[in-house]
Amino acid sequence: MLKIKNLKADIENKSILNNFNLEIKPGEVHAIMGPNGSGKSTLSNILSGKKGYDISGEILFENKNIFELETEERAHKGIFLAFQYPLEIPGVNTNIFLKTSLNAIRKARGEKELDAIEFLKLVKLKAKELKFDEEKLNRQLNVGFSGGEKKKNEILQMSILNPKLSILDETDSGLDIDALKTVADGVNSLRKKDNSFLIITHYQRLLDYIKPDYVHVLINGKIIKSGGPELALELEKKGYENFN
Amino acid sequence: MEKQLKIDFQKLLETSNFSKKNVEIKRKNFENFIEKGFPNRREENWKFSDLNQIISKNIKNLSFYNDLSKPNKIDQSIFIDGLEHNKLVFVNGRIEKIEFDYEEKNKMEILDDLVLEKSNNSNNSLLFLNNAFVSKYFKLIVKKNYSLKKPLAIYNITNKDLVSKSINLKIDILLEENSSLKLIDFSNDKSITNFININYNFDLQKNSILKNYKIDNNSNSNVKYSFSNINQDSNSVSEIFLLSSGSEFIKNEINCNLNGEYASAFVNGVYILGETKHHEIKTNINHLVEKTKSYQLIKGVLEDTSKAVYQGKIFVDSKAQKTDGYQLSKAILLNDNTEFDAKPELEIYADDVKCSHGSASGSLNEDSIFYLMSRGLNYQEAKKLLINGFLLDVVEKITDSEIKNLIKNIMSLKQ
Ligand SMILES: Nc1ncnc2c1ncn2[C@@H]1O[C@H](COP(=O)(O)OP(=O)(O)OP(=O)(O)O)[C@@H](O)[C@H]1O
Ligand SMILES: [Mg+2]
Repeated sequence: MLKIKNLKADIENKSILNNFNLEIKPGEVHAIMGPNGSGKSTLSNILSGKKGYDISGEILFENKNIFELETEERAHKGIFLAFQYPLEIPGVNTNIFLKTSLNAIRKARGEKELDAIEFLKLVKLKAKELKFDEEKLNRQLNVGFSGGEKKKNEILQMSILNPKLSILDETDSGLDIDALKTVADGVNSLRKKDNSFLIITHYQRLLDYIKPDYVHVLINGKIIKSGGPELALELEKKGYENFN
Repeated sequence: MEKQLKIDFQKLLETSNFSKKNVEIKRKNFENFIEKGFPNRREENWKFSDLNQIISKNIKNLSFYNDLSKPNKIDQSIFIDGLEHNKLVFVNGRIEKIEFDYEEKNKMEILDDLVLEKSNNSNNSLLFLNNAFVSKYFKLIVKKNYSLKKPLAIYNITNKDLVSKSINLKIDILLEENSSLKLIDFSNDKSITNFININYNFDLQKNSILKNYKIDNNSNSNVKYSFSNINQDSNSVSEIFLLSSGSEFIKNEINCNLNGEYASAFVNGVYILGETKHHEIKTNINHLVEKTKSYQLIKGVLEDTSKAVYQGKIFVDSKAQKTDGYQLSKAILLNDNTEFDAKPELEIYADDVKCSHGSASGSLNEDSIFYLMSRGLNYQEAKKLLINGFLLDVVEKITDSEIKNLIKNIMSLKQ
């Protein structure tokens, strides 16, 4: 599904990612752990096509190089990023935004756009599954949402858009224990043989709920070690400094 | 220009039937204008918008005499659709239609005999010009306890026949006790490079309500000045909304005197500007007695090399304790060649008051764009959503839901 080869990313002549390699097969869940500033969000942003980085190497999504694709084209292809810091968008109604987004993606895929009633039905169902207060969907996007509500809203968007590759950038940070479980349930319910996940986290706890197939340790823009779920436990014990 | 002014003024007097008193006042105003000329940036009020320069840059051979003897055709297609309303239609400065189909005729009075005030304390040269050259006049009196059932739209239409002319209109509106009026100013210009100068006087008696929506939406090359003077008695409310977008230049100046307790004034506005357009909103809100309130929210989105100016002044007299005054302006600059000048001004002589002001401008947030694009919207869609969202809260301030919808439609803000 995703193959990253020799990715190098600089920003303002500062090297952030270097010789970065990763392959995610359909249906797999990969976790990336790494200290602050190691380049995790940069990686997520680059996968979603954010501008402003000097990059080289190769990013293949479903065997096609996506280097030249705009952010929205990647979304249309099924790449979704749950932001570490979801943005507040004043004056834009959450429901209407969700509908615009879903229909933009459906349209690009040649699927029929949902009308207001079909959409509301879908959104109600998903909000209920994620225990997301429906009333909030009539508010402005993320405006006045608590930190946890913003994160849950990202997962709601993910489950409505039903992407092929979901990148979760520290979605667990700021979630209470119950919310963490519901979010994990949300992810697990999307886990199918052709949906993949890249989960960025600082805490092993999330991985108790979402069992990853692989765990990678990212330090200074480079994966220094990969392994199974046990690697996360080891990390938790040792910390990054004593690692390796 | 002075030569042209003199010829045109003479022609106006010869071809019109002004009363002796009016002629006398006109002469005085004419002399005052000749002496002062168009305002320039040396005047504090005009320091961000040098009208003298703007006129000489945009208008070749400006002339001041406008032949109003022949009727003009009204292009009905520009009338507001889907909203029942009364109409007052100006075409090229001539009143072509007065239609109050929805109202009780004995609850209103319409006067069109020009009445000019003798002592004009003002030092505003554009009012001098207006008084000197105005020949058509419209005054509406809404009688005690009457609320117009439908809004009144004042259409200010100009067509291709009008080129490089100065047009001066004078409109007075008196709202008697407990009365109310919703007024939409709607301009549509197919003419080129004229100077259009409109002078409004509003008198709001006790408990009356004025809602005035000024819509400048159609792109045109005219230079405009609109001056509204509002006098408010106790408990009266004025709500003004400005959509400032279409004209090459327009300065909306609002002078509001809160003369009675609990009188309140709301001025909300949006600029949506592109190309070389240059718009200004200038307010003077004068809190002259206790317990009055004013609120101003102005937002702008500027593209290309456009420029927006907001000069908002809140004056609080020493008698005006318990004044509540608020003012905020914000602009999104879509490129580096745009300019937003905000000059908030508080002049406060009372001590028990609540006044605040603020201003901010910046570019479109690229991170927000990225967020929206990551959800499948393309750049243009994301940009539009952000801009509409930015402007929406100003439009939401409109208290009349029908007109709010109309304006949302005009701005394509409908979600
Ligand atoms: N726009 C930018 N300009 C300059 N430096 C940047 C920019 N964005 C990121 N960086 C730098 O790149 C490095 C990696 O940042 P990144 O946000 O990817 O880290 P992270 O691994 O996500 O950290 P955290 O765990 O704190 O979220 C940091 O040193 C950061 O300061
Ligand atoms: Mg990060």
